[in-house]
Amino acid sequence: MILDTPAIASLYRSHGHVVLRRARTLLGSEADAREVLQEIFTALVRNPDAVRSAGSVVGWLYQATTHHCLNQLRKARTGARVLELHVRPGMAESGGPRGEAAAEVRRLLALLPEDVAAAVVYRHLDGMTHAEVADLLGCSRRQVGYLLERAQGLWDRAEQTA
Amino acid sequence: MNLAATPLSWNACLSALRLDRWMMGELGAADTETVGTHVSSCAACSAALAGIRGVREEVRALPLPAALGRPSPRRRVPGAAVAGVGLALAASLVLVLRVPHPVQRSKGSGVGLAMYVQHGDEVRRAAPGETVSPGDAVRFAVSTPVPAYVAVLSLDPAGKASVYFPQATRAAPVPAGSEVPLPLGTRLDATTGQERLLVLFCPSAVELEPIRQALARGQDGAPLPADCQGLRWSFVKR
Repeated sequence: MILDTPAIASLYRSHGHVVLRRARTLLGSEADAREVLQEIFTALVRNPDAVRSAGSVVGWLYQATTHHCLNQLRKARTGARVLELHVRPGMAESGGPRGEAAAEVRRLLALLPEDVAAAVVYRHLDGMTHAEVADLLGCSRRQVGYLLERAQGLWDRAEQTA
Repeated sequence: MNLAATPLSWNACLSALRLDRWMMGELGAADTETVGTHVSSCAACSAALAGIRGVREEVRALPLPAALGRPSPRRRVPGAAVAGVGLALAASLVLVLRVPHPVQRSKGSGVGLAMYVQHGDEVRRAAPGETVSPGDAVRFAVSTPVPAYVAVLSLDPAGKASVYFPQATRAAPVPAGSEVPLPLGTRLDATTGQERLLVLFCPSAVELEPIRQALARGQDGAPLPADCQGLRWSFVKR
């Protein structure tokens, strides 16, 4: 498979929505979601082997998007930008109790270890079965169950201390 | 807060991954049919899919990132008669053959189908179950690991069965290859609703009229001719 720049541009057109939709949900910011969309496909120009060796293009884009967005949430948490992220105009859930609860979910995701946070995202934000989550994480379904239990425990603890 | 019930939780019964993979033609034939049937009767999944399609249209309207350069002019073709569509779509195939794209595949057999739709000036690759419009021009490309005799039959929403390809009484030979464009396109008529396709890959030039008649009797699940493989695809005209 030749994956040169025109082919990646074609991939952007055909599959870009897989990234943008999930990045919007994960980040709650249109500007940041578009940035992730651009970053993922631009990175492919530098390293086309990343997707070439993947069994599923959609699955690979899910992994890449989750990784990018969780990184961004963690970076946001460590700096003053977290405040800007939570109140930035144009966020889908920028107001009301629902918006505050969505922002709280993102804040808590940033606190979780990456594999635990990814399991939460796949299971609850994408509605995947344990088998689908296991496939994307490259682990067993039992491990997925363990990660999700751990996530709920950490989540409960973080809420109590908040 | 229960992790399963946050404002960001997914609400459809099929996962986002499954819907995305279905839309992009990554599922096997049986899974594709299962998901398509479910989506057509499930309001939550249907709404989720509409959301996904909406974002896809948004991305198509966005400018390409600078690193990816300008969009290839081959993605757009001028309004053309069906004969012209063939050439235009073949041109777009040159571009898309390089990367994995939505293709309906029969699990384990290596045969596959891709469908291209021209709506106005825009040519796009259609996913199974996608909504198209009367007047759109469509063209198919097939993948087969060995030379095969191929036919594309259709059962329209009014129950009328016809042969899209070839314009002959028997299946036509197609060389082995990935996404070999079939030489004929067709323009969709004004009948609206779900249209089902049956694509045959056979070792010989099978007679198509008995199969067309079986389709017309609503027997699109009828046994295929001996040694033939069949792929099923559907789209919705609205």
